[in-house]
Parts: sequence; structure tokens; C-alpha cells
Amino acid sequence: MSKNLVELVRRTHAVRAPTALEVLKAAIDDHGEITDDDRRAASAASGLPEAAVYGVSTFYDDLLVARGERHVRVCTGTACFAATGDAHVDELRDALGLALGQRRADGSLSLGETVCLGFCHSSPAVRDGDVVDAGADVIERVLAGATRAAPEPDWVSALPRPVLTEPGDWSGLERALAEHTPESLLEEVRAATVRGRGGAGFPAGDKWGFARASPGAQKFIVANGDEGDPGSYIDKYLMERNPALVLEGMALAGYAVGADHGFVLCRSEYPLSKPSLEAAVDEARAAGLLGEDIRGSGFSFDITILEGAGSYVVGEETALLACVEGLRGTVSARPPFPAQSGLYGLPTVVNNTETLANIPFVAREGAQAYRDLSPGATPGSKLVCFNERFARPGVYEVRFGTPIRELCDELAGGMRDGHQLRAMQIGGPLAGILPGSLIDTRFDLDDLVAVGCMVGHGGIVAFDERTDMRALARHLLHFGTSESCGKCFPCRIGLRRAYEMFSGPEPVDRTRLEELLEALELGSLCAHGGGMPAPIRSLLTHFADELGLRA
Amino acid sequence: MSDERFDLTVSTTCGYCGVGCRLEAHARGGKIASISPALDGPANEGHTCLKGRFAHQFSRSRERLTAPLIREGSGFRLASWEEATNRIVAELTRIKAAHGPDAIAGLASSRATNEDCYAMARLIRAAIGTNNLDNCSRVCHSPTSFALRRSFGLSGATGSFTDFDYADAAILIGANPTEGHPVVGARIKQATLRGLRLVTIDPRRIELADYGVLHLSPRPGTNAAVMLGLTHVVRRDGLIDRAFIDERTEGYEALEELLEAYAPDAVEEITGIPAADLEAAAHIYAEAENACISWGLGVTEHKYGSEVVQLICNLALMTGKVGRVGSALLPLRGQNNVQGSSDMGALPDTYTAYRRVDDEEVAQSFERAWGVPLSRNKGFTIPQMFDAAVDGRLKAMWIFGEDVAQTDPNTAHVVHALESLEFLVCQDIFETETTRYADVILPASAFLEKAGTFTNAERRFQLVAPAIDPPGSAKTDFEILTMMSRALGHDMGWASPAECMDEIAALTPEYAGVSHERIGRRGLQWPVAADGTDSPVLYEREFSLPGGRGRFAALPYKAPGDSADDEFPIILITGRRLQHYNAGTMTRRTNNLELFGEDWLEIHPDDAERLWIKSGDKVSVRSRVGRIETVARVTDRIEPGHVFTAFHFPEVRTNLLIGSSADVNTSCPEYKVVAVDVRPVPEMAARTPALATH
Amino acid sequence: MKVTIDGHDVEVEAGATVLEAVRAAGGWVPTLCFDERQAPFGACRVCLVGAAGARGPIPACTTPCRDGLEIDTADERARRVAKAVVELVLSELPVPPAPHTELATVARSLGVEDVRWPGATHRVDHDERHPYLAFQHELCISCGRCVRACDEVQGAFALTATGRGFTANVTAGLDAGFRDSTCVSCGACADTCPTDAITEITLL
Repeated sequence: MSKNLVELVRRTHAVRAPTALEVLKAAIDDHGEITDDDRRAASAASGLPEAAVYGVSTFYDDLLVARGERHVRVCTGTACFAATGDAHVDELRDALGLALGQRRADGSLSLGETVCLGFCHSSPAVRDGDVVDAGADVIERVLAGATRAAPEPDWVSALPRPVLTEPGDWSGLERALAEHTPESLLEEVRAATVRGRGGAGFPAGDKWGFARASPGAQKFIVANGDEGDPGSYIDKYLMERNPALVLEGMALAGYAVGADHGFVLCRSEYPLSKPSLEAAVDEARAAGLLGEDIRGSGFSFDITILEGAGSYVVGEETALLACVEGLRGTVSARPPFPAQSGLYGLPTVVNNTETLANIPFVAREGAQAYRDLSPGATPGSKLVCFNERFARPGVYEVRFGTPIRELCDELAGGMRDGHQLRAMQIGGPLAGILPGSLIDTRFDLDDLVAVGCMVGHGGIVAFDERTDMRALARHLLHFGTSESCGKCFPCRIGLRRAYEMFSGPEPVDRTRLEELLEALELGSLCAHGGGMPAPIRSLLTHFADELGLRA
Repeated sequence: MSDERFDLTVSTTCGYCGVGCRLEAHARGGKIASISPALDGPANEGHTCLKGRFAHQFSRSRERLTAPLIREGSGFRLASWEEATNRIVAELTRIKAAHGPDAIAGLASSRATNEDCYAMARLIRAAIGTNNLDNCSRVCHSPTSFALRRSFGLSGATGSFTDFDYADAAILIGANPTEGHPVVGARIKQATLRGLRLVTIDPRRIELADYGVLHLSPRPGTNAAVMLGLTHVVRRDGLIDRAFIDERTEGYEALEELLEAYAPDAVEEITGIPAADLEAAAHIYAEAENACISWGLGVTEHKYGSEVVQLICNLALMTGKVGRVGSALLPLRGQNNVQGSSDMGALPDTYTAYRRVDDEEVAQSFERAWGVPLSRNKGFTIPQMFDAAVDGRLKAMWIFGEDVAQTDPNTAHVVHALESLEFLVCQDIFETETTRYADVILPASAFLEKAGTFTNAERRFQLVAPAIDPPGSAKTDFEILTMMSRALGHDMGWASPAECMDEIAALTPEYAGVSHERIGRRGLQWPVAADGTDSPVLYEREFSLPGGRGRFAALPYKAPGDSADDEFPIILITGRRLQHYNAGTMTRRTNNLELFGEDWLEIHPDDAERLWIKSGDKVSVRSRVGRIETVARVTDRIEPGHVFTAFHFPEVRTNLLIGSSADVNTSCPEYKVVAVDVRPVPEMAARTPALATH
Repeated sequence: MKVTIDGHDVEVEAGATVLEAVRAAGGWVPTLCFDERQAPFGACRVCLVGAAGARGPIPACTTPCRDGLEIDTADERARRVAKAVVELVLSELPVPPAPHTELATVARSLGVEDVRWPGATHRVDHDERHPYLAFQHELCISCGRCVRACDEVQGAFALTATGRGFTANVTAGLDAGFRDSTCVSCGACADTCPTDAITEITLL
């Protein structure tokens, strides 16, 4: 929160100590709960004052629920909601006789909730210990003690030549070190117009340019692998199936910006991501592609893999950096932007993992080739993913500009089992909802913005005729209010009030709702509170009579 | 700033320590309801500590003296002001007639206002006719005053607390501001978090050591060697400011010769500080663009404290780090008005602004103003007063706002002295260890009940205004002193403290422009010119010595007055705790007692193990002159061979242990180096040590 | 550089915030999480003002000035949102704030009278274990001023934000009360608290 806390942990970081969050995570993994002794140990190890450590221990989902010998976490994400209307949650709760967040008195079993496990292709999903199972019968298996790791469909590229689904081979970095100066690489990335893939769409080259221009010898590259949009499992696939491509992108960013160290913060909801990234780092080090003096170029770069602890807002870049520092994942006002003052107060580039995965192609084939991947549309290619309602759910690499109908019907096979597509939410829970009638909209940044939606991170969650739109509004607002970091007033209180409006039996006062949405949109500190009105507005525009409104 | 919860809000200055926080005192129904810090306070900028903020309930404690008391047998009886006044006049007149005015002495309160102290000085000098007058700076920063006047010319900090905000580095030696001067401690801490490179020098690992870049832990009593070592390294490594030395100082050559003997290895022998650390510290200070040096009683309360301060000045003179913003020398004055009480001449050898009593021109100006002849003879210092009382030369004392029986060294000697007097007047707000020996006790006023000014450690005059009245029939000190003086035949003629300040300004060129009106909310840092221009930074162009040059002092290290030996193998250091203030007279009568109700003796694990002591055990501490009992607490923030405790609790009477070793130039007692023996007191079921089997 | 506040030009130093410029021009913008003794925080969103050329209202306390910036402190949307936010804040407290508090004063200045939100409020939780400082947790609006006072002014680091979202609050040490934390009882937290959640016990 305060500059002083960052300074205190920076002094300890300089001696490579663990963060307070790392110590607390290890404690709960070890003995199922967090004690005051654990907090004191975290304080001593990290340099973070004890009170601040207490604050960290009450912020992150992973630290809040006391774990039994068997710890079961049920997914309450949007894709799972679209599949069952959350009936699977009730079923599990009732069958186990535990409320969410409760542990049996004998310590044998505990039940928690989690959002989202990234198994949206096979919703509903449940995490039993570290095994993630999913499918229509998952609850049965959980109750029978027969959970098994659910299979995941292979990803598919719709491009003539796959880019992002092709295993990274570090040739982009090798070429850049041989043929580019940092400045010329930066220019190439600028010319390619690589728009950020995390949702904001900010040009990566510009961000890198700011960081490069900031004074200071020490800079960082941070890969945001903690963007937990329910319904999106794109980052999961990247981190687990093509980690080398992400790491290569980071090294290229480091070269262009003048940073010698990078961090990946990956989601703790994807237990396989961290081991996958660590293995890729080890391999790259062994091959001399990370570490000191890479390929004799004089450029050194190394990467540390860290895991989050269960907070959606940590996907926002300043909250992400707070999490890397081991602090509470709250959002900070900008300016200053991370490119000037980021991790430990030093210039930092924060890019989404998918954005970074785009860079090796640019380095290897150049800006023009990159732009040609999606002619007449936003440059580059995009990964999208579909939820279980589709016949062929999975991750697909597509061109920008493709009509959404083509994506849904030709790639993903349309709705399964004869269901009707009523609406879909593209790009995460803070994105507008596209009614079926607008399915011919082109999948691109400006086209979707024009209809009150967005590309966002690219997750596509379809709702069929079984979905109750008021329940959907309530679901989204429940997600919004539980994930609010709690710092800014409009979001902390406003989302709660919005959720209450849709929770009770009373009709929703539309005028008051509009006032609230305006306050959220214009007043919130970040895109969490600021973005929550978007899907509600879509529902008001396209499904007003199903929301139970009163004028 | 009207708030319907309070009847009245008054802006005033805190009466606890020398930081001089500006406060807003909120009163309701004649009592203090709450105090908040003034946002525009120059020293505190909207902050304060638990003493200034909360510890005000003492002002309405049931134990407040509310009427004069006269001794009757072994106790006291209530008396009227008239009776008390008559008694005082009668006794002092008798003693003066029989033994001369020099048989009477006064001790002014460093917690009282400038006007109170000046009034007392005038009473003692004009109404009584002696220069036997002192204040408690004797026992804390008199070495600072002596040394700064020797090296630079003026007896005060060379800058302001804000200089820490502009410094790149700082040395803090013999002080623990996060406990003793909390608001300054907080400022320094915040500065370190912004990048100030702080070097802390203290036998204990003080809190700020955890925020600084380097901590040096010298053996108690070896500060001079530390300073000489630092200056040696600065010279050896070419870090001096040659131009500054040549243009603005004198005496460098003599120092250079002396420094040969203080190479880091030699200093390590004496002090125990590793040579590499000493070198690093010197570089941190000398290589900084701007650097401050700050010190406290850990420097002054030593046999050679006044010499160490001169050696501190040497370091600044050598590197040119004095006379500009960000490079200041800041002694942390303790009492809220210890600076002022000395500035006002409540000293045996000077009038206001440290002008000597035997300076004809000065003496005559006061004789003209006061209309009576004045003594040119230097008077007794506090230690001399006690000695003179014991041997019969001193017959009477007027002790104003001082609890010497608790705070001065060698308690047994002090008590003997007080008992030997024929007549003792105590002017105070509570009964204390000292008032036990009084013949007349006058009920005085607390800082929340009086008008006047305090001068803080930045040389800043600040206004004090009353939020409540003194309780019962207690009077303000100003009223008492002017009334008593009138009764003794010398009417000072002031209608108010403001008029008194006007006289001070008229008689003191260095304070010429000072008036209550001009002081306002920002205060004025002396010297203050007649047009009101004040002096945040001293010595920008020249030092206040003949020729305008700062003076180096070539003073070798000498061993402290006490040292460990077989009988007393451990060194005791005494100091302070955050929650209490000195004798605890005020703070022990507030809820601060709840926060800190009992002190302890800090002892290192190695010593504790060797002595069979664990935390919570009762221990006895015995020195060459006394013995006390207290409770032990084991900590590794202190070095083996040292112990530490405070002196806030009369039940413990820490100062019983302090002997007569004192600063060679100023008689400031050596509170910081006392050889003691520590052992457990077996009062409960004996902890029989296990039989050794190895 | 020069900025224009409600039509009046004012010169400000590099690095000055819009709020500093407004105050230099003698203007007024309501604030709740701002304290001049601390770095700006940007949590309350009550200090919103209109800026020519901006898409929406901007927060005055955290926005740096640039040359030529034109600010309208009475911008309709900004005031409407500020008022809505203050109404939301009042709605999370189980009892109204005392009239002398900053929150009550700001509410009056913005003309917030009715609180039309009937939903959840903070749980009542009083901590009076300290001799001077009382903590009424239900009045805490998580503005963070006390935590920042403790960190940035005093440097005791005794307080922390705790929890997340609507149930976010503030506590001392390991949630053990002021006395069992690194608190030095300086009272900076009570001084800065705009709702008297932390206040002097004697003033309760």
C-alpha cells in the first residue's frame, strides 16, 4: 500500500529473501492454516512489518480457508455457471454437508470455492487437492473419491501457418541478438503495433519505450500470467503447452528495454503452470538461452517464476506488482505508471503472457509479416477459447477480423445437443454481453467496442436458452463484489449494492441502478469497478424484460 | 477551527521535550479535553507523540499542589499565600543579612518559560544579589553549550530539524530519538526510507540502526576516540574541504598532528569498533553532498563530553558541512525549554545570550535596567551548590521545577545537601522526592496553564498560551516570581510575560527583534535582528568568534571517569523510554503508566547466562556509591558487558548509582558510564543451579 | 506551469497535483482519503473534477498538472458521482458519523441528505483495550489514512488494511489491538481518521 512498505521489502529483496506471501503460502500448504507464528516468520524473512503481513494473510483466497487433509475447491466461474446454473455447487455443498469455506471439525475435509480453474471446456470443474477434474459427472466422482485429472482438448490454429500454437524455439531471440540493437528491436515491435492482449489493448512497443526512457540502471519485465477471467483458459495453455514462447518474449522485452530480470506471476488456480514454466526456465538456462551473456551477446537475462494466491484483481498491473512484492494485491493510482515506477519502485514493463508470446514472431519475421497475419484488422493473431456449451470447445488461434459467427459455428461447432445460443460474453466478466442477434460482428477491437463489448482476453462464454438473465446478472455482480480489492469506494461499496439489488426478491430500481453504474464507470480506480457496468448495460439493452426491473 | 465539542481551543507549544511541537489544546469545562498537533508547527508539521498528544491528565491530577504548604514537624500544613510569602521573605532576609547573598542559591526550571526563567534570574540577581543560579542543562547539554561556543561561537543548533530532509547522510551519536524525541525520530526514520544514509553510533542497537546503513557500537566512554578516528580517516583519504579550512577556520595544524595517533586500528583497540566500519562511516559522511550530525546525552553526559562535542565540530569544520541547509549540527536538547532557560541567563556565569557576568558593559546595562548593583562574581553550579550546602557555605535554596533528589547523580549526596540547608523553597506542581525536604512549597503551574515562550532545540522561540487555569489557588510561575520579587523589595514592573520579553529583547542584541507579536505561529530562531529577521541557518558567512573563524580543537582521548573492574565488572548506561519523561512527574500521573508501568534492566544473553538471570528476574544493581533493585530483561540489542535502564520511576531510584564523575569543563554528570555489579535477588523459591557435570 | 481552475489562472510548480492547484487558487474540492501529511492515495474518488478534453472526470489528488490544463471543480458529472460515492459510504455505516467528523462535513457540503441504500452495513466491533485510542471498526471506511499516517508520518507500521472488498477494514498488529502491536501511541491515526473510527477514548 504505502511507498514505505515497498521500500522495506525492496531492502530485503536486494538480499534475495522470500516475500511474505511466499512464506504464508508455504505455511498453509504445509499445515493447512496460517498461525500468528507463521505471520511472524513471514515478517522476519521478508522485512515486511507484522501488521502488513497480517493484512496480506487476510487478502488472498488461498490463505483464507483452513484446509483439511482433503481440500476440495469447486469452481464458481462463469463457464461453470453457464453449464449448470451453479447447481453443481449446491449439490456438492449439500452432499458434503459443508458450507463454502468450511472445514470439518475432525480436520479430514474442507470445501472452498475457486474462480476459475481453466477447465471451461468441460464445465463444471472441481479441484481436489491439486488434481483438477471436470465434466458432467464430476460431482459424482468427487463424492466417490474417484477424481481424476480431466483431459484437455489440444489447441488448434486456424491460420495457414500456426504462430502461437507452434512450440517456441528461441530463434526469435537468437536472431534479435545477432541482428538487432535494443533500439532497433524496440522500433520493430513499435512498427508491428503489438496491441496488449490482456484487455486494455495498449501498444506494447509504446510501453516498452516509456520503460526504456525511464532513468535507472535496474529494470524489470513482468509477465502477467494471473489474469483470471472466468471462462478463459488461454494463458493456461500458453504457460503449460508453450512456456518457452512466453519466456522468449520476456527475454526479447528485456533486451529492448534494458532489463536483466523478469518475473512471471502465474495463477495458483492452475497448479501445473508453475512447474511447467520452471522446467522451461531450467531448459533454457541449460541451453545458454537464459542467464549471463546469452549467446556471447553481452546481454544477460534471467527469470523467476512466482505463483499468485487467488485474487482476480491481481491481474491489474499495479496490483500484480504488489503481489510480486508479497503485499496485498490492491490497485495503485496511476500515474506513476509501472514503466516509470513499478516493481520495487523501479521501471517495469508489465505485459500479458499472450502479448509476450507474440514477440518472438516479430523478432524473427519482422513487423510487416506480423501485420500480415490479420490483414485489414488488428495486427498479429489471437487465441480465443470456448466454453463447454459449444460442440468443440478448446483454444483456437484465429485472425482478427473474423466474423464471430464463423468462430462459433465453423471452429467451435455451434451449440451442442441442439441448444440455442442466446448470448455470449467475450473477453471476461467485465466485458459487454453480445446477444445472439449480433453474432455477425467482426471479432476485432473497434468492432466489438462499437456494440458495447470487447475482445478483452479472448475467452468466449456462450449462454443458452436455459440461462436466467437475472441470475446471470447476479452471478457476475457476485463475482465483481467478491473480487473487489476493497480500496476504492465506488467499487467496494457500489458493487455490493448492485449485487444486493439483483439478489433479493424485489424488482430492481432502474434509475438507481443507472446512477450506480455511472458512479462505477466514472469513479472507480481501475477497470474492475469501471468495467463491471459493461455487461449489466448489455443486459439492460438486450434483455431488459428478463431482469425484473422497475422503472 | 471551531468544534462544538470544546469550549475553547488554544494554540500552544508542548511542554515535554526539546522538539517543541506546536499543539492545539482543546478545553471543556475548565479541563483539557483533548490535544491535537498543529498542522503548521514548524518542528512537527501536524504530528506529535504520545506525551504531547495524550499525557495531559496530570494537569488535573488529584495530587496537584493547589495551595502553599509550610513544613510542620515531619510533614506539611496548608498555608495562605500571604503566610508563605512572609515566611520566605523573612528567612531569605535573615540569611542574607547573616551570611551574605551568596549563601542563597536558585535552581531555575528548564521546563518553565523564558519569561519565568528570566524573572527568576532577575529575582536571584537583583532581589537577592547573587549569581548562584543554575538550571538543569547542567546535567544534560551544558557540555554542548560550552563546546559550541568554543568551536563556533553560539550556544545552539546550527540549523533546524528540516535539515534532515535536505541531507544526503547523517551521523546520529549518543541519542535514541525514536524514544527521546519521537517526532524528530520519526522525521529521521522517514528520511532514511527516502534514501538518507544514516550512521548510528551507540553502545545499544537503537531502533534507527535498523533503518540506517551502518551501526557502530563503541565501548561506553570512548566517543572521543570514535570522533578522532573518523576525522583521521577523512584526512587520510583526502576527503577534507581544503578551501573551507583555509578560509573559514583556524587551528587545523594542531589537530593534524594529534590525528596521527588515531588510525582505525588504534581506534579499534580503544573502542571495539572494527576498523573497516570506522572507515566506511567516515566515507559515508564525508562523501555526502550534505550531511548532518546529531547527538544527545550519550555524548554529553560523560567526563569528557564537552571535548567530544568539540571533536564533533572538528568533523564538520574539516568537511565544510556547516553553515548551509542540509548540513547542520543538531544537538537534541532534552527539556522543552532547556535551550531557553540557558539563553535567558539562568546560569551562574552569564546573563542573557551567554554574556559573562564579569563583562562590565553587559553588567552595567543590566544594572541600569534593574536599578540595583549586581555581582561580578561567578556563582555556584548545581554540583557546587550541593557541596556548599553540605559544608555550610550555602544556607538556602530556591528550587523551581526540578526534582534533583530523583534526577541528579549521587542521590545520597543530594539528599544530604538538601537536609543540610537551613531553608528550602520548592516551587512545583506536585510533591516530589525533592519537596520532602522543603520548608515552603509553592504550588506552581503546568505548561497548559501559562503564557510565555519556550525556545526549542532549533533556537526557535515559540508561544505558549494557557488553555486552563492553574488548579485551586496555585498561581502561574510568572505571577509567583514577580510577586515574590516585589515582596523582597524588587518590583520588576511587568504587567505580563509579553512585557517581560520586551525587556529581554531590549537588553539582548541577539534577541533584539523578539516579541510575542512577531513570534506568531512560525516562531523566531535567534539571533533575531531588530527588524524581526531571524536565523534558520547559522554561520553561513562567518562564525561568531573573534575573526569570524571556526576553531578546531586538538583534544586527545582520555579514559572515562569510571571503568569496569573485578568488583564492578559491568558498565551501566542510563537513558529514557518513549512513554515517560525524565522523573516521570507528569507522565506517571497519566495513562502512560498503563502503557509502561515498570521499567527493566536490559542485559545481554551472554551476561544473563553467566549470572543465572533470565527475563523477569529481580536483580540488584550495585555501584561504588549505591544499590538499587529492578527487573531484568534479556535482549541482544545491547552488547555483552553493558546494561541499560531508565530513571523514570522513583521507586527504583536509578540515580543512586551515579557517582560524582562529571564533565571536566561543565560538571555535567557522567550518567552514561557507571561500573556496576549485577546479580539476581533471591526472593522467591531459590533457583538452585544444576550441579555442573561437565 | 500555468493551469486554469474555474476560469482563474494559477502558477504551479512541476509535479504539483490538480488538488494542490485548486487549493492554490483558493478553490474547494471535497476529499475523504486525502491528508496533506501523506502521499495522495486515490481511494475515495470524491475529489473528482472536470478537465477540458478528458473523457470523464479526473481525480484531483492523484492527477499531476500539465501546462494549460483547464479544470472545472463544479463539473456536473464529477459532482454527481462524488455525491453518489458519499451516499454509498454513508450507507455502509450502521450509524451516521458524528457531526464534527470530516465525513459528516463533506456530506453536508455535497448536500447528501438521504441515504437510500438499505443493504448490508459493517459489523459493530469496538476495541477499547488501549488507554487512549478507541477503535470502532464499524465506522471504518477503509480510506487508509490511519495506515498511511502510521507508515509515512510516524513510521511505526502498526496498522494494516485487512480483508477484501466490502468487508475490508483496518486493524493493528496481528489483529491484537494497539497495545500488542508496534504502536507508539502517537495518535496520528486518530488525528487523521475522517469518521472517528479511531478516536480518543475520552472523546467518545
